[in-house]
Amino acid sequence: MEPPIVYYPRSEYIETDTGNKVSRKSVICGSQNIILGGKTIIQTECVIRGDLRRTGGGHAVVVAIGRYCLLARGSIIRPPYKTYKGIFSYYPMKIGDHVTIGEGSIVEAATIGSFVHIGKNCVIGRFAIIKDCCRIEDNTVIPPNTVVPSFSIYEGSPGVFVDELPECVQDLYESKTKDYYAKFQPKD
Amino acid sequence: MSSPSQTEIRHIRPYVHYNCSCPDVNISLESENEETFNIDSPRIQFSTFSISKLYFCNDCHQIRCPRCVQEEIVSYYCPNCLFEVPTASVKSERNRCARNCFQCPICQNTLSVLPSSEPQPPPSPISPTTVPVPTVSATGAPYYLSCGVCRWDSQEIGMTFEKATGLALQLQRTEDERPDVKEFDHLKDHFEKHMRLNTPSTALPSSLLSIPGMSSFSNRYGGMVSNNQQKSDDIVPYEAVAKVEIESGLVDDLVQLKDVNQITTLTQRINQLSDQPYKVERLQPQRIHLRTKRVKRCRSCRHILIKPEQKAQSTKFKIKLVALNNIPKISIASLPKLILNQRTQIVLKFSNPLDEEISVDLTTQEETNECGKVDILAPHFNITPYDGLWEYEEPDLIASKSRTAPNSIGIYERRGDSTSIIVEITPLSEVEEFRFPLLVTYTCKNNENDGAVTEEKTLDETSSLKATGGDSTADESTRTLSFWTVIGLGPVIKPPSGVSGTLVSGPRSEPSGSKGVTSRGSSGNSNRK
Ligand SMILES: [Zn+2]
Ligand SMILES: [Zn+2]
Ligand SMILES: [Zn+2]
Ligand SMILES: [Zn+2]
Repeated sequence: MEPPIVYYPRSEYIETDTGNKVSRKSVICGSQNIILGGKTIIQTECVIRGDLRRTGGGHAVVVAIGRYCLLARGSIIRPPYKTYKGIFSYYPMKIGDHVTIGEGSIVEAATIGSFVHIGKNCVIGRFAIIKDCCRIEDNTVIPPNTVVPSFSIYEGSPGVFVDELPECVQDLYESKTKDYYAKFQPKD
Repeated sequence: MSSPSQTEIRHIRPYVHYNCSCPDVNISLESENEETFNIDSPRIQFSTFSISKLYFCNDCHQIRCPRCVQEEIVSYYCPNCLFEVPTASVKSERNRCARNCFQCPICQNTLSVLPSSEPQPPPSPISPTTVPVPTVSATGAPYYLSCGVCRWDSQEIGMTFEKATGLALQLQRTEDERPDVKEFDHLKDHFEKHMRLNTPSTALPSSLLSIPGMSSFSNRYGGMVSNNQQKSDDIVPYEAVAKVEIESGLVDDLVQLKDVNQITTLTQRINQLSDQPYKVERLQPQRIHLRTKRVKRCRSCRHILIKPEQKAQSTKFKIKLVALNNIPKISIASLPKLILNQRTQIVLKFSNPLDEEISVDLTTQEETNECGKVDILAPHFNITPYDGLWEYEEPDLIASKSRTAPNSIGIYERRGDSTSIIVEITPLSEVEEFRFPLLVTYTCKNNENDGAVTEEKTLDETSSLKATGGDSTADESTRTLSFWTVIGLGPVIKPPSGVSGTLVSGPRSEPSGSKGVTSRGSSGNSNRK
């Protein structure tokens, strides 16, 4: 099924020079620590906690998000934390290109590769590593420190491997995210 | 290959599935050829796929599905530590990770190795601090395996480790003690000397020899065929060493069971295949199964369709012949609700992945469709070559003014490398899923000079499959391919009371001049006959 055109109120979104579309109704904390690669959409009620960073040190990138990503309504990006040798600290998070994060999902991963689809209402635990070309089905819980290898479909709570993705998934997700961006249009 | 969950999904969402005739799998099924393509056959579930699962053989010029490709393992790797395991050690390590990767026997989550002398990391906010801080265990071993999801830990079953590394080796030692493993080793020892007597044979292709255990099969069976059968008859009768112990009292325990949670689940038992215990305390952590990267070959011509890079972490392919990049992609662009006895226009979008213009012919089977009537208003049309730029970078892509005005009946729009056509659906029964078959025949110019030979073969193969009509195959410099698709449109609903059944509901923005579409649609039908 061909996805429909999605219209948003023109006044709600800020469009950056590189084509990122960020909802004014989202909560972006510590924006100086957040990088958006371009043509990335951050929808209503999303939260990105760029303010949760390692204490001390100067300016640092806390959340890096690539090109053509979609943070659907109500999704939350929160850098992972741990206590190492008695010191509590946050660690940066990196998200690749062509990544979709579904509505209401909470992401605390260390890295998410490119060409990744995360469904609705998922929890991606602290320091999880999701490699390139993966799919996390709706309502899946990926426990902390889990490694999801490329071409995997994970499902359930705790999320386990259920199937392989086809070889053309990269092309598929690339065209899907580009298509979504092209069809995400303002309306007055 | 597809999981049950996906099989369920394909009946809920609208879909376009492509049929693979699997010429090398269905050799004996002469009667079930393409001309009697029957979408109600139970076989359809297993022979139709979404386009993303299909391959395309350039030499056979045919669609290939997961059933008609052959797989060969290129490399093995652990899905958790992503370490590539050399083929030579896969066999001795029993296809599981020999490093520190374990699966929780209760919930199948990945276990972590924790030192018991140090306090546990602070519990996450989700779980309150009810977990007791473990002290040095009775055996004195300082490390144990712990599950962060269900809080199982290996101390429960008295399993602790001296060192934090090489845990798999310690676990494998207990695996080697298992009666099934011992029995197999014994069996192997028993026959191995006879195998060595026979000369090594190359009856199997060398690629198969790389599969652990395959070489001994080759020696055994290859040797038997080529050499003398006498030698294998000399083998002394084999006597089993392992004795199956029946757990005393298990049946009594099961009979008196009051709570089903006291015994293991089916998933837990299946994950511990060696003894499949009923008692939870008998469950053991399992080393994680290795995954593989595989080459996929066409069954007919043995050419490689998929060749991944060997490195475990690489997602690139040296060869990738997938259907998505080789045959027209069909998607449902507009689908209003289907109402009983009401003529409805849906839009099918055909995209051309090739860099040549293609012409498409469509046919459906009306007489066999019980769901209702299907009218293809534009059974012949062309699609311009693929142009990546067209698709996304056009700023006014969405604006309807950029759309090329349709110049023929039944064409909804032409844009870039896609043509969208109108199909009229009249549901005649209240089915849960309106499905119809569609035979797609497309022709493109062949830019290879040596294509003539292949062309003849292709024509032979497809001529029996092709519907009547169409002179598109006359030109020698063209290539034609036919395939069936099944299009599922979801449920048909009852009309709201008081609405006439002759209304036409269609896509939101109908092209100008579509008034004449319905009346002239019938002439389009007669063309196809
Ligand atoms: Zn097939
Ligand atoms: Zn491993
Ligand atoms: Zn567990
Ligand atoms: Zn072939």
